[in-house]
Amino acid sequence: MSKYEFGVSTFILVSPFTDHDVDQFDVAMEMGYDLIEVCIEDPAVVSAEALKKASDRTGLPVSICGAFGPDRDVSHEDPQKRRQGIDYLKLCVDIAQAVGSPHVAGPMYSATGKARLLPPEERRQQRQWAADSLREVADYASERGVTLAIEPLNRFETDLVNTVEQGLELCELIGRDNVGLMLDTFHMNIEEKNIAAAITSAGDKVFHFQVSENDRGTPGSGHVPWSETFEALKTIDYQGSIVVESFLPTVEEIAKAVSLWRPVAPSMDALARDGLTFLRRELP
Amino acid sequence: MSRFKYSYNAIVYYQEDIAKGIDRVARYGYDAIELVGEPATHNVDEINKLTSDAGIDVSSICSIWFGEERDLINPSAANRQKALDYGKSVADFAAAVGAPTIIVGPSPVGKTEALASDEQEWEWAVENVRTLGEYAASVGINITLEPWNRYETHFLNRLDRAVELLDATGLKNAGVHGDLFHMNIEEDSIHGAFARAGSKVNHVHLADSNRAAPGVGHIDFRPTLQTLKDINFDGYLTFELLPAASNPFAMMARGGHLEFLDPYTEKAINEMKKLEQELWPNE
Repeated sequence: MSKYEFGVSTFILVSPFTDHDVDQFDVAMEMGYDLIEVCIEDPAVVSAEALKKASDRTGLPVSICGAFGPDRDVSHEDPQKRRQGIDYLKLCVDIAQAVGSPHVAGPMYSATGKARLLPPEERRQQRQWAADSLREVADYASERGVTLAIEPLNRFETDLVNTVEQGLELCELIGRDNVGLMLDTFHMNIEEKNIAAAITSAGDKVFHFQVSENDRGTPGSGHVPWSETFEALKTIDYQGSIVVESFLPTVEEIAKAVSLWRPVAPSMDALARDGLTFLRRELP
Repeated sequence: MSRFKYSYNAIVYYQEDIAKGIDRVARYGYDAIELVGEPATHNVDEINKLTSDAGIDVSSICSIWFGEERDLINPSAANRQKALDYGKSVADFAAAVGAPTIIVGPSPVGKTEALASDEQEWEWAVENVRTLGEYAASVGINITLEPWNRYETHFLNRLDRAVELLDATGLKNAGVHGDLFHMNIEEDSIHGAFARAGSKVNHVHLADSNRAAPGVGHIDFRPTLQTLKDINFDGYLTFELLPAASNPFAMMARGGHLEFLDPYTEKAINEMKKLEQELWPNE
């Protein structure tokens, strides 16, 4: 058995995920996954109770991740909008606590797909708003034993945090121990000068990890430098789980940001299965 | 002696007098410069004098396929016609400055949603790329079809698809174009994609994974250089390096890209020549 728990994102299984989709826990189990990552796309249709019940029934642990559309923007210039974003994140924290997810993960510092050029002063202000909002969420999460795993995205999906270095700067600005990073190989392939070095530089601030091929296809089917990547996770003694992520064409909340125009695997089912086979082979 | 001819895309010299760019690429040992496809902003006589004095060629024209009036597959017939007229003006410009090749993107950059059915878009693409290609042939110019990454277009993302489009047009003065920045996102293997396209590759844009100069990101360029040699690529290796932003042009307008001028122009060609030396020490 690998020392890592391998998970599958609901973005691959069904999107948006609702209480009616809890049979996907059985699908993930049957595929052989150790964990399911549930993305809270629409909180009106997915509840902590249903997730907890499915997790207890199947014994499959849950990782909670957020989806950040335009109404969930903690660094928006309008304080009302920032408040909406904070409220959504607190709700994710509540769900994480209820289902036993160690973290809430995702690009929570801005609305995904917002990629504007700003003068340095406005950028500083945006970063400060992100830090202030996320500090409030971090304190709320801390009282509930939950951490925040912030995900850098590539240049086309966000203008605020593209690299591990920028992610660490934001963590620093937030200044709370329960705030770290979630790293995703798809974004790192575009933005990092050296993927392994980036992982190593984050060290124990890597709270969560997602694997995706360079084209968002099945891990192992493209040119992400996997052996260096996995070696770096060993170097930093990474203890968290590793989640396979891609996106179904039905994704709504962040569809435009994801920009997936063609099938990147024979099927999403094949992507999930072959991705796991790859992980088990590379990280026995 | 270098195996390849090298060029540098002046697009990142934006807002600078073209004389400076031509002088710069000549100074660092390039064979040619790639010019931006805005014929109205260039003075042909001046360019011809500058390149001739500097002893370099114009490798290609980087057409700016942007906006609905430069959309060869736009649902509006008037827009498609304007796009064709634009493409023809770029071909004329290429002929006037002695550039052998112009870049063609059938659907404009930044348009990531289909405005017609897939079949209809494809049909317009075949028809208009053919018309543009035939016109280019009449003025002695080749076209090259360039796929871009998923965030910049929904239409052509991979080299295989560009080859399909090329074949459907039946053009003889045309090929496909691989840009390593886009390929790093879209292809399962960069050199594998070049190998599959083989003799149909007639232009290449080099950039590292983060669109900076080779060596600044994590692409290993050796397998690609080896493949380009194997497929007997004899076109220009052109560096298209751009700042890290979803809209690099807005960033350039602010002047936030000074390393792309002298430092990257120098580094890019030196890195490649170093790799050539490593790969083929006895040539």
